[in-house]
Amino acid sequence: MGRPDGEDNADLSSDDSPWSDTAWSEDDDDEGSLSFEDSGEGSGLDSDDGPEEDAEDAEAGAESDSSEDEAGPRNTVGDVPLGWYKDEDHIGYDIDGKKIKKRDREGRIDTLLRNADSDTNWRKVIDAYNDEEVQITKEEAKIISRLLKGKTPHATVDPYPDYVDWFEYDGKGHPLSNAPEPKRRFVPSKWEQKKVVKLVRAIRKGWIKFDKPKDEPDYYLLWGDDTDTADNKRQGLSYIPAPKPNLPGHEESYNPSVEYVPTQEEIDSYQLMYEEDRPKFIPRRFESLRSVPAYEKALREGFDRCLDLYLCPRTRKKRINIDPESLKPKLPSKKDLRPYPRTCYLEFKGHSGPVRSLSVEATGQWIASGSSDGTIRVWEVETGRCLKVFNVGADVRRISWNPSPDKPVLAAIVGHDLLLLNAEVGDEETQMRTKQLLHIDESAPEDDADDTKPAVRWVKHDKFDGITLIHHKAASTVEWHSKGDYFTTKLESGLREISSISIHPGGDNVIVGSKDGKLCWFDTDLSTKPYKMLKNHSKDITNVTFHRRYPLFASSSEDCTAYVFHGMVYADLNQNPLIVPLEILRGHLSSDRRGVLDCKFHPRQPWLFTAGADSVIRLYCE
Amino acid sequence: MPKHYRPAGKKKEGNAAKYITRTKAVSYLQISLAVFRKLCILKGVFPREPKKKVEGNHKTYYHMKDIAFLLHDPLIEKFREMKVHRKKVKKAFAKKNKDLADRLLNRPPSYKLDRLIIERYPTFIDALRDLDDCLTMVHLFAALPAVEGERVQVQRIHNCRRLSHEWQAYISRTNSLRKTFISVKGIYYQAEVQGQKITWLTPHALQQVLTDDVDFNVMLTFLEFYETLLGFINFKLYHSINVNYPPILDPRLEALSAELYALSRYMSTGRLPANPDSNGSTEDKETENNKENSKADESELRLAQLQHQLPANEPGALMHLVEESVADDIEDGPAKDSRNLFRGLKFYLSREVPRESLLFIIPAFGGTVSWEGQGAPFEETDEEITHQIVDRPTQSHVFLSREYVQPQWIFDCVNALLILPTEGYIVGRVPPPHLSPFVDNDEEGYVPEYAETIKRLQDAAKSKVLPLPGLGDEAQENSMVDTRSEYNEVAEKKRKLDMLEKQYHEELKMEIEGNTFSNISNKKADIPADVEGDESEEAKEDDPIKQAADDAEEISKSLMSNRKRGLLKAMEIGKERKKSKIETLKQRKKKAESSASAKKRS
Repeated sequence: MGRPDGEDNADLSSDDSPWSDTAWSEDDDDEGSLSFEDSGEGSGLDSDDGPEEDAEDAEAGAESDSSEDEAGPRNTVGDVPLGWYKDEDHIGYDIDGKKIKKRDREGRIDTLLRNADSDTNWRKVIDAYNDEEVQITKEEAKIISRLLKGKTPHATVDPYPDYVDWFEYDGKGHPLSNAPEPKRRFVPSKWEQKKVVKLVRAIRKGWIKFDKPKDEPDYYLLWGDDTDTADNKRQGLSYIPAPKPNLPGHEESYNPSVEYVPTQEEIDSYQLMYEEDRPKFIPRRFESLRSVPAYEKALREGFDRCLDLYLCPRTRKKRINIDPESLKPKLPSKKDLRPYPRTCYLEFKGHSGPVRSLSVEATGQWIASGSSDGTIRVWEVETGRCLKVFNVGADVRRISWNPSPDKPVLAAIVGHDLLLLNAEVGDEETQMRTKQLLHIDESAPEDDADDTKPAVRWVKHDKFDGITLIHHKAASTVEWHSKGDYFTTKLESGLREISSISIHPGGDNVIVGSKDGKLCWFDTDLSTKPYKMLKNHSKDITNVTFHRRYPLFASSSEDCTAYVFHGMVYADLNQNPLIVPLEILRGHLSSDRRGVLDCKFHPRQPWLFTAGADSVIRLYCE
Repeated sequence: MPKHYRPAGKKKEGNAAKYITRTKAVSYLQISLAVFRKLCILKGVFPREPKKKVEGNHKTYYHMKDIAFLLHDPLIEKFREMKVHRKKVKKAFAKKNKDLADRLLNRPPSYKLDRLIIERYPTFIDALRDLDDCLTMVHLFAALPAVEGERVQVQRIHNCRRLSHEWQAYISRTNSLRKTFISVKGIYYQAEVQGQKITWLTPHALQQVLTDDVDFNVMLTFLEFYETLLGFINFKLYHSINVNYPPILDPRLEALSAELYALSRYMSTGRLPANPDSNGSTEDKETENNKENSKADESELRLAQLQHQLPANEPGALMHLVEESVADDIEDGPAKDSRNLFRGLKFYLSREVPRESLLFIIPAFGGTVSWEGQGAPFEETDEEITHQIVDRPTQSHVFLSREYVQPQWIFDCVNALLILPTEGYIVGRVPPPHLSPFVDNDEEGYVPEYAETIKRLQDAAKSKVLPLPGLGDEAQENSMVDTRSEYNEVAEKKRKLDMLEKQYHEELKMEIEGNTFSNISNKKADIPADVEGDESEEAKEDDPIKQAADDAEEISKSLMSNRKRGLLKAMEIGKERKKSKIETLKQRKKKAESSASAKKRS
């Protein structure tokens, strides 16, 4: 290490000395040898021991240097400018403090001669600091020349070697750590031990299994003997099995008979239907099995079935698979309920307009009818002969016989007025009595349909020697007072518009006909609500009536029919009235959308009179 | 105050306590809706209709007991476990803990449904009763394309295929198939197993398309249950005929998609009660006949099969023999009939006919069958083939010894339980209409023409076959019967046709006269045969009678309660609808006939 320092010193000392220039130029002269040396070294690189020899050479050089250094007296002035000692005769002091004398300078001629004598003279350099001449070795000269060229001093040094990264980075956060090895590196881990204990325990207890689970057979005999019924009960709520899908009919065939395949028009007409009504499946016909395509909706239908199975609420519903006949009520045989009117026996023809009303005389010998053609006719029942015609000139809306057989007086509502007439029937005695009655006793008849008002005037009819009662308001109904029974029960019929009412002769039962074609039977002992509601007529009921003797009642309606019912009221209060529909009486024709306008029973016989809008009165008998 | 106010502290009672809406049930069980659905499907829990819907009309109600039933099922815990497992695996992957993930994936929690099956169907008969949907579903999935990456796993489709084949093999083996029907939707089969009629639908053997309008989760859950159910049922059925389950199949046949054939062969060998030596020898013969290159592994498989069968057959080979013969004698009508239908006939299937279906049907009715393709038991050139099933416009090469019929013939024969004459089904002809065997024609009120023809043939066959019972050479007998019965059939047909025509004309007349069917019967006596001119008179004469009948009806109606009247009305409407349907059918028929005759004339 000492040598470079020395050289440095040499360099420094020779900074301002002129020898360097000469050395440069001389160096140039001897370039051939230098280059030779270089090449020699280059070739030496190839051989293995080349560099080593060089190193030995260099060492030898260094040794010679040091020996040279030790040999001569050494200046100790230090790093001071040499100019300070310019004028002195010494250059400095040696290690013992003695002055080192300047040497005598050679003359230029001497120098030139010496240079010419020895060829190593160019290597001699004057060391101004020590004031001596130093001869540079070949190696040193070479180094100097390399340095001057800007190369590395030694030729063996490669300035750009390939970089070798000796450090291993794998698994190291930081390349180097200066931390001391921790204790845990040397002591067995407590946590590991714990973990092992845990695992051992788990293995011992069978929590961790090393062998693969045994392959159990997927299927085995699940259902053993079905004989033991006790175990075979299904748990839980009652199971409702899903209904099976419908089985396909002929129309689903790939090749149905022709009649199952709808025509194109029919298929088109499906488009006009509501979507719900449209047939889901349209049959098609394929000529052969090979032409049948895959069914597109197969998956969809399977899915729908799945949805039905798990989303549809299931309830057990009783399937009504009964004969419709069994729905109809069991009625007693009609034969047992005879007699009742069944067939048309007589027709009373003569009126020219709809017969609005009719009435049967108390003895049952005569009937009177009022028509909207303005006439009142009196007929003999048995023969059908028209006995008398009263032309009253106005619409007869209602007519009624006097209930007492010995006074054959007719009451009729004509227009707005009530007309009392002598019917002029019966033997002479009764006729006389009637005449007398109508002539004299002016206050005898009483109207119980309307309130007795002072506004009623009694006027003698001029034409038929009768009496006319003139009301201010229009009278609608006329009934003769029979006994003076009144009923004051409030009945809730639930009907829309009551058109007619009739009271059972017993008094406790009432039938009510309404304009919506319903007939209500009220049992006033039972309830205020209808006991039976019969919806038989399709149009308005015009009249309902009870028979006075037989357990019969009838209703007439605008739909040209009259119904006859058996209506038995028992004396026993526990037994409800028995109602049996018996017969539908037809025969009347509709005119002006009106049918049968009135019906009345014969007082003694099971006969029914009906007055039709077709201006005919019919008598229905057994 | 709200409508259903309940004072605090008072318990719910009545419908409010008994029923629970779906949303509440889900939260009560603390599961997700999807899991709830799955549970409901697997456990067979369905909504119920409460008398009073406390929570509202548009909600689904479950019975509280049903929900408690779900709550106590171990399956619920299992589903939770699976969910947790999924999470664990996900977490392990997220943390790149591959070891843990592998370990977890190696042991996924799984569940079995056998307990559920025995719970839902305590007896075998119960399970058979509910089998219709199961079979239809399994067959549907068996027909789906087994393509990787689709929404249905390939393995499950293969499983469905296997199960359906096993089922069909059993049905075919025990001759319990009763009815078949080719519809547009697919082929319907009806079998009778242990007295239960089981009907299922098989889609046509064409590629189905997986549509988007279905929820496969729901369907696959159903399928999961059905697969297990069918597996256990197959096991039980196979067990009942002494065949091992699951069967080991000949891989070659399996590969040739002739699984059904392989299965039936397996079953027949499994049933063979003879001693193992002879069994082996027949086996060998068969293998020699069928496959020249019997490989080592194949023979090994055979051996394995035989070993499997040994324990079942060894204990009493003789007993089995006896049993079988006894069973043959005892077996009631339908099974015997169906076994003998195609007995002695040999069928050959052409390439284009639906092979799977016919391979199933023909053996089920006692016939032997082969097909065009590899692995077939006999060749097309076999002289003994009696019928060749073809479905093509023309047949070029014809063997004179056999008849060429369309596939529909098989199906019609099976339904009629009779060998029908083949004229109508010859190649190239449009076959006669294919009628549904599930329709009760009498109840429907309309009998298609071909149904009548078949009926007549059946009657003829019955009357002719019965006097000739014998146990001699069956094939010969059959042929004799065939010719004779055919001859008779033709005569009968003619006679019947004449009669029918007459009857038809009469009916037509009556219709013109305006009679309804209801009072035809009671009036037939007094209607003179040759009424044509005095129709109007007749009509008038009828009127009062009809009127009277109507009146009687009216009268009885007037006393009915509203409810009953409504019921009656509904019934009448139904009847009317049925009638009008029949009417349109008749009209169409008439129209078709007239157009056909017009064509003929021109």
